[in-house]
Amino acid sequence: MSLMSLSDSRLANHADATLHCHGLRKSFDGTHALADVSLEFPYSGIVAIIGPNGAGKTTLLNVVTGFLRPKSGRVMLGERELTHQPPHRIAQLGVVRTFQNLRLITQETVLANVLLARPNQKGERLLPALFRFGVAAEEAKNREEALRLLRFVGLNEKASELAGELSYGQQKLLSVACCLATEARILLLDEPVAGVQPEMVIQILDLLRELREQGRLVVFIEHDFTAVRQIADAVIAMDEGKIIAYGKPADVLERAEIMEAYIG
Amino acid sequence: MDYSLHILILVAIYAGSAISLDLIAGHTGLVSLCHAAFHGLGAYTTALLATRAGIPFPVSILAGVVIAVLLSFAISLPSFRLHGDYFTIATFGFQMILFGLFNNWIELTRGPLGVPGIPAPVIFGWHVDTNLEFLVLAASFCCFSGFVVYRITNSPFGRVLHAIREDEVFAQANGKNTLYYKVAAFAVSAALASSAGSISAHYVTFIDPTSFTVMESILVLSMVIIGGAGSPLGPMVGAMILVTLPEALRFMDLPTSVAANLRQMIYGSLLVVMMMFRPQGLVGRYRFGR
Amino acid sequence: MVIVQLLLNGLIIGSIYSVVALGFSVVFQTVRFLNFAHAGYYTLAGYFTFLFLVQFKFHPAIAFSFVCVVVVLVGCMTEFFVYRPLRRRRASSQSLLLASLGLYLVLQNLVSLAWGDDTKTIRTAPIVEGHNFLGARITTVQIVIVVVNALLICTLAILMRTKVGKVFRAVANDNDLACCVGISTDHVIMGAFGIASFMASVAAILLGFEIDLTPTAGFKLLVMAMIAAIIGGIHSFTGAALGGIVLGLAQNVAIWQLPSKWQDCVAFALLIIFLLFRPLGIAGRRGSDNGVESQ
Repeated sequence: MSLMSLSDSRLANHADATLHCHGLRKSFDGTHALADVSLEFPYSGIVAIIGPNGAGKTTLLNVVTGFLRPKSGRVMLGERELTHQPPHRIAQLGVVRTFQNLRLITQETVLANVLLARPNQKGERLLPALFRFGVAAEEAKNREEALRLLRFVGLNEKASELAGELSYGQQKLLSVACCLATEARILLLDEPVAGVQPEMVIQILDLLRELREQGRLVVFIEHDFTAVRQIADAVIAMDEGKIIAYGKPADVLERAEIMEAYIG
Repeated sequence: MDYSLHILILVAIYAGSAISLDLIAGHTGLVSLCHAAFHGLGAYTTALLATRAGIPFPVSILAGVVIAVLLSFAISLPSFRLHGDYFTIATFGFQMILFGLFNNWIELTRGPLGVPGIPAPVIFGWHVDTNLEFLVLAASFCCFSGFVVYRITNSPFGRVLHAIREDEVFAQANGKNTLYYKVAAFAVSAALASSAGSISAHYVTFIDPTSFTVMESILVLSMVIIGGAGSPLGPMVGAMILVTLPEALRFMDLPTSVAANLRQMIYGSLLVVMMMFRPQGLVGRYRFGR
Repeated sequence: MVIVQLLLNGLIIGSIYSVVALGFSVVFQTVRFLNFAHAGYYTLAGYFTFLFLVQFKFHPAIAFSFVCVVVVLVGCMTEFFVYRPLRRRRASSQSLLLASLGLYLVLQNLVSLAWGDDTKTIRTAPIVEGHNFLGARITTVQIVIVVVNALLICTLAILMRTKVGKVFRAVANDNDLACCVGISTDHVIMGAFGIASFMASVAAILLGFEIDLTPTAGFKLLVMAMIAAIIGGIHSFTGAALGGIVLGLAQNVAIWQLPSKWQDCVAFALLIIFLLFRPLGIAGRRGSDNGVESQ
């Protein structure tokens, strides 16, 4: 499997940028979904976020990617403020995500979904789309790249099928492929293996390892401790909107298991 | 012969207009209720410029397009940052207000009296004065509209529109500035609608506010939905059916008012039936709102 | 005292906007779609009032109850035969919206076929000069309109603060959740349509004594009600009521200075201003999100 390059110019600007949050707060109807969350992600590697339902894991992802506005606090990518940027801007800056309830364009083909995610397309502007200056060549290049990505995640044979016709696990793979197509360095995945068949889980986890090899940062939310133990370099445990532990998987998971046993 | 020419001209103008509405309603999935208001803008702009200032047709049609595009921004920029329902309400409001202005701004539009005596258009020396020539003009407009919409929906731009239609959040998560796409699509749609209005004003030579009511907007919307939203042929088929339908009713010897009401009831029932049993319309593939 | 008169007029029409907006808003908040058929319920109610009161010469109390029963029945039927099957087919809110437009066309043109497109009047009493109020005139009918609307709004506001309101909100926020706690979503939604069509009937009966009936007036009123709902806050019951009053007052105060042809433009301008600066309306909470969770 070929190593994907990270030489995109936009990334080069933030090549040494790490993602960090300071004092994030967010509440819904009085309950604190995030209560003063501060943390710094490593430059690259695989970080898992664990915690019970309602711990604020997805809220954290939503706030970092700009889909929710925090009540206070900041999200930074290196020196760059992400806090009040719109979601598409944050994605363009190289922080992308998947969704728990798998958002894909189900009535379009698998290939079209990946193509959609390709950044900086000339043909996405109105006049070039109408007059087609150099759009065909660009489209061919993007198509090639998209097919390469589909091969990389193992969906190349499904390229012309409708995204809605894929199995659940394949849809999760596709959503990761879309993230990769944006050429982002930082991927935030919301439950990438939950509800997926065991052999598919192995495939997805292999893919995540591959991404780590490429020098990317993969942050993922997961309930299944075995998956976390297998691949995570670091684990963040959250509860009631707070980070209760952040460190080596073995330590954090041990503590989490003890806590879980207590709480039941 | 002249009668069938008349029907064909109407079909061509409505088809061109329905195709342009399909860009925003079918391809982007945002229901607009002010297409007739944009017809009216184009119609009144060219009619007034032609009758009062003798401005040539190509210039006045462009003037109509510019006004329509600018006004489309007034609707789209505030409402597109929000859920699509806000856009629909804004277009609904815009439609009602524009009709009110056509009707009540008597100093400018002569209100219910309408603007008579709109001259036959002259396009770079071509006097469009017979019905056959008008058919050529209307058909070229329809083709132009179809070409523009087909080009931009079969491009990366169109891919983003389709993504917005199905899941705007997903498009944003992939780094697309969805506001830009929605605003641009709506502006193109408004520009084409305004041109359709201009052409039809010069064809019928007389305009009054009753041609630009919300019912007219719903009629064009019904064409899109019944024919098949988001497909190249759908709006044309829809326009063909809904333009010829009242002509068919005409042969049934009904009183005019009854025929009008019956016609609208048929549109209404067709809309409900299509939504329930055939969301892809008669010839479309995209299943609207599923 | 021109301004007092204008404020009074604003309050009267505003209270009608409020009631129509409230009815529309009850459905919007439970099912999350724009129900254009609401204007159809309103039109139907106006003409049934004409039928029972003027054509059949029923006692007003009987006529009004008949109207409400018939229109609520129609409202529930649209839900039962159209919207519910559509929801079962997992249709989006846009499809429901288009179906509701179709239903409106059917209802309005049924009215047109039955009663014709010309204006009808249900004002049977001779026109009397109104009472003096701070130099302005207000008729008894107008007082009744404001009082009845105020009572209706208060009743609904109180209702929505009780357990009933909680159930409605549960359905609005998360259909699955409502199912889990043993509430039948379908029953709640049916209730919402019942309330909505009832509110539309009351508004139609009351306004019928002020303004003559035309088959298309309902649509014009619905536009104002929708704008009122946004101004007040489309996700709040009190907001819809408040928005109606604000819109009515603004429109009438505006014609103090502007030619009356701009009256509707005031409504549109107000809508645009609210969309730009306060999209959640007067009653809405600030600091809106980009909406990933409120799909």
